[in-house]
Amino acid sequence: MAILPIDQFSVLKPTRIQTSFFSSSNNTSRWKRQRISTTVIRSCGNQSAAGTEKNHYELLGVSVDSSSQQIKDAYRKLQKIYHPDIVGQKGHEFTLRLNQAYTVLMKEDLRRQYDTSIGEFRIGFQRTGRDVESCSSWNGPLRPHTLFVDETAWCGECAYHASNTFEMDEALGCARVKVQYGDDAEKIEVSVDSCPVNCIHWIDSEDLGLLESLIRPKPKEGFGVFGQGWERPANVFKATETFKKQVAKQAKDYQGNWREPPEEETSAQAAARADANLNLRKERSLSIWNMIKETFG
Amino acid sequence: MAELQYTVASDSENTGEEKSSSAFPESAIGIDIGTSQCSIAVWNGSQIEVLKNTRNQKLMRSYVTFKDETPSAGGVTSNQLLHEREVLSGAAIFNMKRLIGRVDTDPVVSASKSLPFLVQTLGIGVRPLIAALVNNAWRSTTPEEVLAIFLVELRAMAELQLKRPIRNVVLTVPASFSRFQLTRIERACAMAGLHVLRLMPEPTAVALLYAQQQQQIVHENMGSGSEKNALIFNLGAGYCDVAVTATAGGVSQIKAITGAAIGGEDMLQNLMRYLFPDLDRLFSNHSTNDIKSMAVLRIATEDAIRKLCSQTSVQVDVDLGNENNICKVLDRKEFEEVNKQVFEKCESLITECLHDSKVNVEDLSDVILVGGCSYIPKIQNLVKAICKREELYSEMNQLEAAVSGAALEGAVASGISDPFGSLDLLTIQATPLALGIRADGNTFSPIIPKNTTMPARKEQVFTTSHDNQTEALVVVYEGGGKTVEENQLLGFFKIGGIPSAAKGVPEIIVCMDIDAGNVLRVFAWVMMPGNEHPVTPFMEVRMPTVDDGHGWCGEALLRAYGSALDLVTVQKRV
Repeated sequence: MAILPIDQFSVLKPTRIQTSFFSSSNNTSRWKRQRISTTVIRSCGNQSAAGTEKNHYELLGVSVDSSSQQIKDAYRKLQKIYHPDIVGQKGHEFTLRLNQAYTVLMKEDLRRQYDTSIGEFRIGFQRTGRDVESCSSWNGPLRPHTLFVDETAWCGECAYHASNTFEMDEALGCARVKVQYGDDAEKIEVSVDSCPVNCIHWIDSEDLGLLESLIRPKPKEGFGVFGQGWERPANVFKATETFKKQVAKQAKDYQGNWREPPEEETSAQAAARADANLNLRKERSLSIWNMIKETFG
Repeated sequence: MAELQYTVASDSENTGEEKSSSAFPESAIGIDIGTSQCSIAVWNGSQIEVLKNTRNQKLMRSYVTFKDETPSAGGVTSNQLLHEREVLSGAAIFNMKRLIGRVDTDPVVSASKSLPFLVQTLGIGVRPLIAALVNNAWRSTTPEEVLAIFLVELRAMAELQLKRPIRNVVLTVPASFSRFQLTRIERACAMAGLHVLRLMPEPTAVALLYAQQQQQIVHENMGSGSEKNALIFNLGAGYCDVAVTATAGGVSQIKAITGAAIGGEDMLQNLMRYLFPDLDRLFSNHSTNDIKSMAVLRIATEDAIRKLCSQTSVQVDVDLGNENNICKVLDRKEFEEVNKQVFEKCESLITECLHDSKVNVEDLSDVILVGGCSYIPKIQNLVKAICKREELYSEMNQLEAAVSGAALEGAVASGISDPFGSLDLLTIQATPLALGIRADGNTFSPIIPKNTTMPARKEQVFTTSHDNQTEALVVVYEGGGKTVEENQLLGFFKIGGIPSAAKGVPEIIVCMDIDAGNVLRVFAWVMMPGNEHPVTPFMEVRMPTVDDGHGWCGEALLRAYGSALDLVTVQKRV
């Protein structure tokens, strides 16, 4: 999470509807924005209408699928920098936005509603005990890049150089990232360079969850006595790309339906339709999984 | 802060400059004005120091004695014996915190009529007459004045010890104080030449101290600072406050806060009535003898309550004069039975606060009990019972916790940093009371609900209640009641220039903004359908605007305008 000086936020200010209402002297644009704001508030209960504005996740510097604990930590960290008690009155506007973002993201129903309105989908991996074990944890603040090991052969080179970061997964017989940034930069650099099969990659933090979950072997559906067993994608990066494309498409479709409800619709009808949409979405997720399996199986 | 309105701009600019230019800003001092006792503390550069008076006391009785020439703040300089003599004479005024900013229809004021000075109520919704007996004459004063006299002496005492002038203060206040009462406290401070930097609800000051203590533990153990939930229960002489806080990394986040005007004073009066049922009838005249009897009974009862904290029974032996003698053995069971309602109210406040915070009792890391009444065994037991635990948090001085927290906030808000990270702290406050306006008849329509994180800004859309209505009244209230009558009126203003239209067409948008210094501003403007611009300039009104006699304003408005200028809430369109 990048910590920006407060001035950088004041650059954002003119795009802020409420802010301009209270501080700007440009009358015409002010009221135009004000109008947008009020309608948005009444229609979906949040204020993220302007395209240039940071969404709640960007504001808090967390990823879309972050846990409530991560959101809480990020919120506290930012509050400690920008709260008016610490920086004085100029922190007022930013803290208001932080509070708004926090309120929305900490309540599961509000967050889901918000995700829909900004077109983001959290990928609903059901993280079981085993899954959590095989995901890397974080040491220190969130950073834009993370380590990811795409390996199939037994090699303990990296775990030897940076033992706090990498470990051998006994069950799978290959190395994986235990703790992101578990060692200092130098050690990690050495282990990345020394990998004999060049399988340690620097990737975007946002992709980490997806990659780590896709590389895990999944039980394969069998036909009769044939084909049962475990499988994992041959090229995990390609699989991730495909998956993301699918999700994006799905989000777009879903949003298209969501955004244009007929005027006369009652709330009961809306609820029923939303339900149906949700079911459709679930089915689609399943079919995507199946597709991935077919492609790489 | 309200009375400094004309200097606010330059004032805040100055603070801003001080922060950046001066490497060693001076810490604001923390003051805890209790109903019965008062204390003052300051961050001395490395730790919190609770200042002592010339008699080496950290806790000073909050009372002011009126004499021939100048009144003096008793507790700052004098001792217990002198206090008793002055209380007996009727010249001492105390319990200011229970009287400040209240009207004579308030039950808390009525309950103060058994105090050994004059509290005259006429029951018409104005401030009560308060007077001290000086040379056999009732000399009137106000709670603000009494508080100001007391603060002046406190200030002089602190300036002498710290060898520097003092201007900025952080005061602790009860959570149940309305914004109107807060302005009275600010006025008293202004009269004493003090600038209020922050008014902190008492449990949030305790929460800040807790955050600092937890932060230190983390530093010492080099462990990870996981989140800790704590319940803070503060019971003083005049007020009971409860808060639930989530603490991690020196940040204390208030999840819920609530309070009521209930405390040791109520227990004292209940017990006085139990010991001497004729209390109200006999002492209604406030003659010199009555006052003496009242004071004797008061001192004896106070003593009995104190003894019942450590013993299970106590012998009460008082001669009230006029052949009224009380000779009785009082046991702890009786005391608890007499004050059953007080204890039940305490329980309901804790339950309510836990419910609002959505924190389970099992998830509480610590339960903190502070305040002058925290020594009463029944209170300790009921807090333990509700929070389902054997032990209470023991790392805090129960009487100094609030003032220490205020001193910490004073240092943080003054921009002081500590090389060891002891001031790497923050309290994220929440609103203890809901704020809203009158709409749909006499309904209170909340705009900023209770327990909203501060700073906060929220808006809501209203519309006209009549066809061709061109004006509307925005009447602002604070409190938890469903109808406006149950809540505290803060102020009102009129929006004019609404274009003629059928009822329900114009949109009147009311926005409320609370900054971190707890200043409330109300904005309102009018929008018409199909028009992107508001049709009138928007109004900005700083609240509260009402002064004394505010109890009447609501009725007066109704009499003058009826429902002609009413507003109606707009249902949220999904």
